[in-house]
Amino acid sequence: MTTLAIENIHAKIGEKEILKGLNLKLEAGKVHAIMGPNGAGKSTLSKTIVGHYDVEVTQGDILYKGKSITEMEPEERALEGIFLSFQHPVEIPGVNNAYFLRTALNAKRKHEGKEELNAAEFLRLMKSHLEMLGMKSDMISRSLNEGFSGGEKKRNEILQMLILEPEVIILDEIDSGLDIDALRAVSEGINKMKDGKRSFLVITHYSRILDYIEPDYIHVLKDGRIIKTAGPELVAQLEEKGYESIIEDTAS
Amino acid sequence: MILDALRNTTAEEMGLALGIDTREPKLARLHTLGLPTKKSEAYRYFDIDTLLSKEYTLLDYVPRSIQESDRIEIVDGTVISAPKGMRIFYETCELVDMEHFDPLYYLSHLLAPHVIKIEIDGDAHVEIIHRFTKSNALINYRIVLENQSNRHAIVYESFENEAIRDTLVLYGYDINVAPDSTLRVLKTQTLDAEQYAIVASHNIHVERQANALLKSFDFGGGLGLQLIRIILEEHAHTQMGHLLYLNSDSRRGTVSQIVHRGQHSTSSQEAKNILDGHSRGIFDALIKVEHSAKYTKAHQNSKAILLNKKAYMVTKPQLEIYIDELEASHGSTTGQLDEKQLFYLRSRGISAIEARKMLVIAFANTLIEKVKDSRQQERIKEEFERAFYAMQGEEASGELS
Repeated sequence: MTTLAIENIHAKIGEKEILKGLNLKLEAGKVHAIMGPNGAGKSTLSKTIVGHYDVEVTQGDILYKGKSITEMEPEERALEGIFLSFQHPVEIPGVNNAYFLRTALNAKRKHEGKEELNAAEFLRLMKSHLEMLGMKSDMISRSLNEGFSGGEKKRNEILQMLILEPEVIILDEIDSGLDIDALRAVSEGINKMKDGKRSFLVITHYSRILDYIEPDYIHVLKDGRIIKTAGPELVAQLEEKGYESIIEDTAS
Repeated sequence: MILDALRNTTAEEMGLALGIDTREPKLARLHTLGLPTKKSEAYRYFDIDTLLSKEYTLLDYVPRSIQESDRIEIVDGTVISAPKGMRIFYETCELVDMEHFDPLYYLSHLLAPHVIKIEIDGDAHVEIIHRFTKSNALINYRIVLENQSNRHAIVYESFENEAIRDTLVLYGYDINVAPDSTLRVLKTQTLDAEQYAIVASHNIHVERQANALLKSFDFGGGLGLQLIRIILEEHAHTQMGHLLYLNSDSRRGTVSQIVHRGQHSTSSQEAKNILDGHSRGIFDALIKVEHSAKYTKAHQNSKAILLNKKAYMVTKPQLEIYIDELEASHGSTTGQLDEKQLFYLRSRGISAIEARKMLVIAFANTLIEKVKDSRQQERIKEEFERAFYAMQGEEASGELS
């Protein structure tokens, strides 16, 4: 079953068209990896899906569970179940990490017609995930991402994902800046979310993360379009021959 | 009374109009400084001409018997209740600062020959509520605050009003912070346009090794200016924090002079300004370090966030220094809410309004969270949220588009 369908999307940032008729279907319960050279449009794709203010969609549609989300506000997309783990999460001094996350969770619960969690219930939930991610308990009271190391920021993104329980999870360069221990903890958090229903879109430059999060499909993005889709075996070919070989194959 | 009528008069004519002996030094100071106009430095960005040109009814200040209460209530300039045992008197003021920069400081003193003197006992927590009930009135009163040496007192000040219109409040403190003591004064005020405008002119003398901590939290609309002159003696310290959160056509802010007179005196002043609607925030602050104030440390900073393209922040941090042996800094920034931060919050399902609120509160929190009393801190946060949602209401109704 398709959870997210990107249909002939054209999108620009400023005056520059980045996505040029991109088509992609994310299947329920599957891990899709997007790989591609610098400047191919990988991050623009993730921004387009979550409704980033930089991006203007000029043509095409994005359907989530059959419903168009292209005109939706970012918060509406999030409430529907779409989550982006940012490549560079912003620091927000003065906004308490736990307060922020409880506000987000309760907004989602309200949207789903569930009762909101009080502070004590939320803290219990948060603490249950902190240990698994190897996060210190002082992360609860610190300002959101302020002074966090690169690894702490990425773990915090995964913590948010675990708590918000989205259905489509986009991981933009989740492995960048992570040491082996952090990579393992982050991957463990992601794998914990695999339940046969959720869809994952893993955007990455390198195959390293795919050793930990096993992909079902590999899509190669070049110049704003998906030029090749294959199974996980494509990773080895990319490792060995690089993107150029795929680009040449496709061209021929 | 129309205060404008005092312009372009001789000292004798001014004295006659105010019923003051022309030999009175405060009258001479007022005459020398002249009534403020929009060209006066301290009032340049405030709508003083409009306020002084209106006709106001003068009130009779008849001392009333003071009822017992858990706080000091001052209604239209008269004390009506106070905690048991609190020493409150009406008397002539002996603490007048004859070098104050504000002419309305002197006018206020001349119009209120008897001040409300409050003697703070020990390590007291004193709550003062100012309440205004008269429309089209000039409500003028002054308060003298004195604390005791080696004691640490706190004054919480707040304001209430009935459904009044077009009133001008002139009030202010003359404070002497006793040697080796600490006095904290924390003011919270939400103003509504058209109800009353307020000019608060303060004189604070911080004695040897004493601390004066002054925090003001000003929310909403209307016209309000606080003009503060602080003198710091040897090893004296002041810490000032001003939070402005304004909407509609508000004109509010702080004009201050911190005068370092004693050696090793220290000051730090921080202003956070959040401006919505067509509001104008004012932070005109001078730090003056006199020849006698070697080894001074003085730091001053103002930050502003403009939430509307028609909002405007006037920031004038100034240093006037007559010695070399000191440490001093000042700075100011003005910007907008960070779009990346807003997007990040919204991408987690938080509405645009809530995301704005979180960022605005985060900006203000460095001042709000310094309020140690949790009840007062909570009260400030509630006032802040009320002001925030009032602004969202204005925007939704398109009043400020």
